[in-house]
Amino acid sequence: MEYTHQYSWIIPFIPFPVPMLIGVGLLLFPTATKYLRRMWAFPSILLLTIVMMFSLDLSIHQINNSSFYQYVWSWTINNDLSLEFGYLIDSLTSIMSILITTVGILVLIYSDNYMSHDQGYLRFFAYLTLFNISMLGLVTSSNLIQIYVFWELVGMCSYLLIGFWFTRPIAANACQKAFVTNRVGDFGLLLGILGLYWITGSLEFRDLFQIINNLIYKNEVNIFFLTLVALLLFCGSVAKSAQFPLHVWLPDAMEGPTPISALIHAATMVAAGIFLVARLLPLFIVLPAIMNGIAFIGIITVVLGATLAIAQQDIKKNLAYSTMSQLGYMMLALGMGSYRAALFHLITHAYSKALLFLGSGSIIHSMEALVGYSPAKSQNMVLMGGLTKHVPITKTSFLVGTLSLCGIPPFACFWSKDEILNDSWLYSPIFAIIACCTAGLTAFYMFRIYLLVFEGYLNVHFLNFNGKKNSSFYSISLWGKKEVKQKLKNKNFFLALLRMKNNEMTSFFIRKIYPHRINQNVKNITCLFFDINYFGTKKTACLYPNESDNTMRFSILVLVLFTLFVGTIGISFSYKGIDFDILSKWLIPFIDLLHKNSKNFVDWYEFLTNAAFSVILTFLGIFIASFFYKPVYSDLQNLNLLNLFEKNVLNKKVADYFQNVIYDWSYNRGYIDVFYDISLITSVRKLVQFNYFFDKKIIDAIPNGIGITSFFMGEAIKYVGGGRISSYILLYIFYIVIFILIWYFLFTNI
Amino acid sequence: MNYFPWLTTVVILPIVGGSLIFLFPHKGNKVIKWYTICICLIDLLITSYVFCYHFELDDPLIQLTENYKWINFFDFYWSFGIDGLSLGPILLTGFITTLATLAAQPVTRESKLFYFLMLAMYSGQIGTFSSQDILLFFIMWEFELIPVYLLLSMWGGKKRLYSATKFILYTAGSSVFLLLGILGMSFYSSNEPTLNFESLTNQSYPVALEIIFYIGFLIAFAVKSPIIPLHTWLPDTHGEAHYSTCMLLAGILLKMGAYGLVRINMEFLSRAHSIFSPWLILLGSIQIIYAASTSLGQRNLKKRIAYSSVSHMGFLLLGIGSISDTGLNGAILQIISHGFIGAALFFLAGTSYDRLRLLYLDEMGGMAIPMPKIFTVFTILSMASLALPGMSGFVAELIVLLGIITSQKYLLITKILITFVTAIGMILTPIYSLSMLRQMFYGYKLFNTPNSYFFDSGPRELFISISILIPVISIGIYPDFIFSFSADKVEAILSNFL
Repeated sequence: MEYTHQYSWIIPFIPFPVPMLIGVGLLLFPTATKYLRRMWAFPSILLLTIVMMFSLDLSIHQINNSSFYQYVWSWTINNDLSLEFGYLIDSLTSIMSILITTVGILVLIYSDNYMSHDQGYLRFFAYLTLFNISMLGLVTSSNLIQIYVFWELVGMCSYLLIGFWFTRPIAANACQKAFVTNRVGDFGLLLGILGLYWITGSLEFRDLFQIINNLIYKNEVNIFFLTLVALLLFCGSVAKSAQFPLHVWLPDAMEGPTPISALIHAATMVAAGIFLVARLLPLFIVLPAIMNGIAFIGIITVVLGATLAIAQQDIKKNLAYSTMSQLGYMMLALGMGSYRAALFHLITHAYSKALLFLGSGSIIHSMEALVGYSPAKSQNMVLMGGLTKHVPITKTSFLVGTLSLCGIPPFACFWSKDEILNDSWLYSPIFAIIACCTAGLTAFYMFRIYLLVFEGYLNVHFLNFNGKKNSSFYSISLWGKKEVKQKLKNKNFFLALLRMKNNEMTSFFIRKIYPHRINQNVKNITCLFFDINYFGTKKTACLYPNESDNTMRFSILVLVLFTLFVGTIGISFSYKGIDFDILSKWLIPFIDLLHKNSKNFVDWYEFLTNAAFSVILTFLGIFIASFFYKPVYSDLQNLNLLNLFEKNVLNKKVADYFQNVIYDWSYNRGYIDVFYDISLITSVRKLVQFNYFFDKKIIDAIPNGIGITSFFMGEAIKYVGGGRISSYILLYIFYIVIFILIWYFLFTNI
Repeated sequence: MNYFPWLTTVVILPIVGGSLIFLFPHKGNKVIKWYTICICLIDLLITSYVFCYHFELDDPLIQLTENYKWINFFDFYWSFGIDGLSLGPILLTGFITTLATLAAQPVTRESKLFYFLMLAMYSGQIGTFSSQDILLFFIMWEFELIPVYLLLSMWGGKKRLYSATKFILYTAGSSVFLLLGILGMSFYSSNEPTLNFESLTNQSYPVALEIIFYIGFLIAFAVKSPIIPLHTWLPDTHGEAHYSTCMLLAGILLKMGAYGLVRINMEFLSRAHSIFSPWLILLGSIQIIYAASTSLGQRNLKKRIAYSSVSHMGFLLLGIGSISDTGLNGAILQIISHGFIGAALFFLAGTSYDRLRLLYLDEMGGMAIPMPKIFTVFTILSMASLALPGMSGFVAELIVLLGIITSQKYLLITKILITFVTAIGMILTPIYSLSMLRQMFYGYKLFNTPNSYFFDSGPRELFISISILIPVISIGIYPDFIFSFSADKVEAILSNFL
């Protein structure tokens, strides 16, 4: 197996037959291809598994030998320029390859069941496999042009998958928003690549860094221009990883199916920006302004994502903002130069967040049986609650993911996040305090999700508990009274039908599958209430969500194992001279390259002290979430404490004011989307209207005016002649006289 | 000459074959259509054969030359020849015309005249690209106008007469400048006219006179390309013409202007080109953004695609104005690339119109469910239009930008500004392109009336779409094939600027 790396170039291309066959089959033989349907999942999963085995083998070699391989072949444009393509296999590549393939496989397995009812099933698998190919190509690229190529392809796949359910206008708008926002980042990336090419004449990573170091050493390069170029390169990462200010596309990207949120918008595509910054860190590290800028953007994104997640109703948007915040942590780590910590958190966060997304997909899948195919209902946490009894496996899995993301030991994200926090204390105490407080916020919003979804009772039927109607309002009053009333009216209409039918001993048939769900989006909701079969013996069970099927649970459980144990690869621990820190051994070439003082030991006392501080803040966040969102009719409610707050009117007013401010900030996405609407989109529209007017009324009017003028002049001249011979003679004599006069004067001059 | 007159054959064959159409019986459009397709295919095959076996890629000189004295009085020759610059456009002409003939299936009225005009246009196009005599070039250039005018005025939308008149006035008016330039150059050096390209290449003029010639030719080619502000004939023309005619316009006719800019302005008038190239670059940058933002405001689907064409021509100006190996190669690649993509988009817009009978985007929507194949191919070609990697458009635009970066002529600040402004087009292009997709295909629409037009692409349409898609992706993955045509010629042209 010494020569495995020679065949590494096929890593991106192993899964390629699947989308090719699906695409060609759908175009030329649509009926036969659709008939096979779910059998297409097997080659997808099989080929990606082969890539995973390949990546594992490469990674094992990396850990043992700390080696890297690079190979290049080229297109020759002319004598001056050639575009080169190849692959670069090093630690960063193997880490990303394993991540992409493992999460990709689990998502494919999950999707087989999740999307089985969807008439776009084949298209979904083709898109998803195309995405995996693009992502693998991106992480194996050996130069910036090649990265840019796959970067764009990844953006295209994201566009296609976000807009997968394109019949919904929200999804159609969301995918275009995602593509255009990413293009803004790509604009900066392309300019940065061109600038770098102008400075160095090369785009290969190894050549690039050496040339720049030489130029800086000899003082032959303009530092300001180099900083500008580096800043432009960073723009691509900002858009891809949903960092402030190009983060606006990520929450709307949740319009796509849930499996792609788990794969693309939590684990892999949004990590591409982190990957690029890590890849270019040898360039950035010699530019302190850029490093500080990266850290600054990171910390802003950390806070912004966490605060925006506080009051979202949509479970997936909550997780999207959480992803944004965690990516900010990674950017912060890279900006501080904590290469190892950033990659460590990238790995742990990928598995934990994928678990949370797949868990939320399981919940949404169950809720659709009750509220119909409508994301505004099936993804609305206000209508959830009390799912502990109905989906216990999903509940446990979701809890594991939640605890991991909060940073509770011994789950995966605890180790990586606290390493980042530990490094941030050395970098800047202000950043460290902000980061630690945001860790508390993370605990708050994650447990808010958990409590709203799993604790209490199912709120779809909350009118059934007539004796506690008044108490029920209290738990959801934070969303505004008018909204509650409107929702109440809607629910009355539907639930009246429900009650009427219940009296006739009828119930829902939850498992009925609508093969043309997309086409009958409106009709489907109505059908759910009217298409009722008689089941006299299972009245209670059929009214509640059910656990998902085995393939979906399999993926979730595998991710639970990852979340529980993946943190072990990065724990710094020595026992009898044997070093168990796999991640450090994996990253030895980069650590040496960055001239970082790698410690043979870690100050465990300092680590535990800082970890204790952040864990305390985390538990404080959990407590506050429990205080606000623990259902008041829970068995364990603390009535004395609630009464104490209720009686103190003055404090209540102040608390309500702050509560509303925080709520408005979060619900309106920090007003950033509104700002973009007012400034950018309005400006573009005005530019478009002005250009349209200018083109139509000014540029086009000139030739049209000439044409019309000619027409009218023709009409006018038409009447000059009149057909009278005397008029013609008069004109003739007139011109002869003029001619004679001119001739006379010329003759005189001569 | 000892050689067979291949170029004369490929130029004369379509129009002679087209003339025979009128001898056909009056019934049976199918016979006429397949006859026309056979003529196009034979011509394309002859062209490919000749270029494969009788053309040396590494020779920058004129090859396959033919010289027959036509008019003895002033040394006018029937003079054809090709080099690396004209090779790509000629192959593109054959390819697109064949597919456009296949796309013209729905034309049933006066089909004899229609197909004859297409073949006449075919001859004019190849004649223009093959001509090595400047007066013959002009004659072919003017000859092109007649079939296009008739195609526009007899088949198309309601305002087609207005559009056709606008087209003929614009292009005929610009040809006045072309003729003046030609006569000036021909009669400059002696009493005997000098018409041959090879002689004209070696001729030199005072700078002031060269500038005047340059401006004259520039106006003529600017109308044809088109270059703002002389572009307003194009959206009207595309908006009203039948989509097979749109394919010919977008795929081939617009390339004559770019070809002329390189062949005449750059090769014959080198010093004036050095003086004017900064303005070309400025104009190209403005054009990319101006046309893209104007495209976003169009409600008419075809006009939006037409403005997209205008926007992409801005890259041509950048490449031509960069005066660098890389930039000029990129410009030539953009000629080929946009020929494919533009023709394909107009074909798909036309097939959509055949079904919906709607051209305004705000009235459309929900087409993806009933027509998944059109949706698929339209999406792919929209991605090609916005220069997605893996497609030919990306390679062309990237290399043009690299040409700007590596050009020796301009200062760093100028390069930064030009590249920055040009790259803004990268942001605007997906806005109008994806908006078009969203308004046409996305969303859900209940089509109440069971319309007999509502069926997905048949084999013919799928064949045409895939035939254009294959070269787009092939060039995107392996652009050396096109560069091998033009690399040596580009070096020869640029040696004038050293």
